[in-house]
Amino acid sequence: MSGGESTTGGEGRTVGGGSPARRPAEGGRLGWLFDPRLVTVAAGSLVLVAVAGLVQVSFGAYSMTVGQAWRAVLDPAVLFDPRWFLNFLLGEELMRTVTGFQGELPQLARETLIVWNIRLPRVLVGVVVGMNLAVSGAIFQAVTRNELASPFILGVSSGAGLMILLTLVVFGSLSAFLPIIAALGGAVAFLIVYAIAWKNGTSPVRLVLAGVIVGTVFTSLQTGLFFFADDISVVQSAIQWTTGSLTGTDWEQVRMALPWTVVAVVLSLAGSRQLNLLLLGEQTAKSLGMSIERVRFALSGVAVLAAAASIAVAGIVSFVGLIVPHVVRNLVGSDYKRVIVGCLFVGPALMVGADVGARLGMSVLTGADSQIPVGIVTGLVGGPYFLYLMRRQQNMGDL
Amino acid sequence: MSTEHADATESGESSGANEMNGATEADGPQGTGGGDGQHGTSGAGGQHGTGGAGAASDLDGEDLVLGYPTAPEPVIDGESIAAEPGAVTALVGPNGSGKSTLLKGLANQLAPEGGSVLLDGRDVHSMDTKALAKKLGLLSQESTSPDSITVEDLVYHGRYPHRGFFERTTAEDARAVERAIDLAGCGHLRDREVGSLSGGQKQLAWIAMVLAQDTDVLLLDEPTTFLDLHHQMEVMEIIETLRDESEVTVVVVLHDIEQAARLADRVVALKDGEIRARGPPEEIVTEDLLTDVFRVDAEVVDTDRGPRVTPLRARHEE
Repeated sequence: MSGGESTTGGEGRTVGGGSPARRPAEGGRLGWLFDPRLVTVAAGSLVLVAVAGLVQVSFGAYSMTVGQAWRAVLDPAVLFDPRWFLNFLLGEELMRTVTGFQGELPQLARETLIVWNIRLPRVLVGVVVGMNLAVSGAIFQAVTRNELASPFILGVSSGAGLMILLTLVVFGSLSAFLPIIAALGGAVAFLIVYAIAWKNGTSPVRLVLAGVIVGTVFTSLQTGLFFFADDISVVQSAIQWTTGSLTGTDWEQVRMALPWTVVAVVLSLAGSRQLNLLLLGEQTAKSLGMSIERVRFALSGVAVLAAAASIAVAGIVSFVGLIVPHVVRNLVGSDYKRVIVGCLFVGPALMVGADVGARLGMSVLTGADSQIPVGIVTGLVGGPYFLYLMRRQQNMGDL
Repeated sequence: MSTEHADATESGESSGANEMNGATEADGPQGTGGGDGQHGTSGAGGQHGTGGAGAASDLDGEDLVLGYPTAPEPVIDGESIAAEPGAVTALVGPNGSGKSTLLKGLANQLAPEGGSVLLDGRDVHSMDTKALAKKLGLLSQESTSPDSITVEDLVYHGRYPHRGFFERTTAEDARAVERAIDLAGCGHLRDREVGSLSGGQKQLAWIAMVLAQDTDVLLLDEPTTFLDLHHQMEVMEIIETLRDESEVTVVVVLHDIEQAARLADRVVALKDGEIRARGPPEEIVTEDLLTDVFRVDAEVVDTDRGPRVTPLRARHEE
């Protein structure tokens, strides 16, 4: 091989050759966004959200036709009046500070009031929660290199659940702060998990094991606390919070979750290249110069932020964060830039769709005018879909 | 053997001489990279060189004590090794002799319990991780990736240390990737998904990835193990091209002593975590070494392609 052979057999191998003209996909800065699969996924999800949202705003105690509902959603009296629009989005006080408007807001049609005041915010909370859970799950699946990771794998749900029960059962006077307390409980549990897993650094396996440890203990405590609830309404409220529900969500919840969602989404998009590198394994990531512990902690922090934001407004909704990243990966491939963007669309589609069942399902099935927690529906929808994915694909998820 | 050791202990003095070496060597073979000159870059090694164009980097491990947290005894206990700048150094030895451990130590994947690793005189452990990754690349033994990533995208990951947090790929990145794909000979695989490749093709893709990293020092951990003959040859040709046409300092762990002898400018033989011999292959690869280090009786015949090793039987003494 040395000498003569290397020149003939080497197929003209040289150190300096090659033409740098390739990489059409990187042509524009956002060229990857126009991947046909991603566009299809996004468009399909948008249609789903629109249809489910329209069903949500049309039906209820005050029924209206789809046409009426549609007109109410697009009512120019709200959309083109910054006072009303900001009144919803920012709250009355902030609206008055921003616009300097001190008088009475103009009258709105009855349908418009119902749709914008009561029904639309619930859809929007569903969208925000769906985004957060999907992105959070996608990040955790890369960070732990575990296809079965969900936003709650590192103790977040158990910490939040314990704090919810503690607040409702023991410190009833604090229940006004329940959203914040639940979110903080989740974040603290995550930090405990990290502390337990840390020993000269962490590893995906150690993190997941620590998550199991903390989860087991906290869930036991949480279940134990149910025995101290002396009121059925407290128990029901606790179940709503721990299975996740959008019942009674309002603009208040939109305002609470939206800023954190924006932060989490921007950070996770910015971190998508790091996520891609994590998929190549710890050793490769390290040899390419990644400060792996710092990146892992930062990305986990972003995922916990997203999960906590959704817990604060909707409680602990299961399955969305587990299944949506899988669906997206199956549809758009494993590149995390696309996975995160896909999650931003598919997450809301699943969440808003499931909430139609949660809100209207019982009245259709039994005629009773009651709602069930959306977390129950996501589980019922998500489980069989997961089964379908598992059956269809040998190497599921492709992490 | 004695000169090699001098490298390790008096690296300051020897690196000056190596720079001169590098400069003279650079004249001839660098010409092949001329087609690239129009883009304002020279060959692979030069542009990120530290001391100036054409200077090869040297990597010295001094009195290294390397072990794993789970094991009480260190695997390597106080060994020094110097990679000859711009040349190929092969680490050989039986299973469990500590070759891979030593390589991991040199790559800063394993923090030494004692001693230090110096890259052009700087302690790698104190270097910024990205700055180190711009100068030192490592191909690990097992590499995992998502199945659906394309070869080209995988190779682009090699540019990670050269990019800032928000930076997009630059023309420079594209050039480095082209060079790497070209050198690794996997242009025809560029758009294939890694999951659909054979073991040998995968290895070429991974080699292209570390080549795209465009480092002065390249550490390869058993790059030919488990490959079929054709792909073993492909990998060896890549290393030969690096040796002949660039200033990259290569350290490669090889299982096959004959391959090592053919490929390397210097061979370092380990056994039980100790360096038993080092030097040019024609001096090192002897029947005595095979008996001592590999515990086999073998026949070694010098040919014009280097020593040919014919193992005869395993030794069962002790």
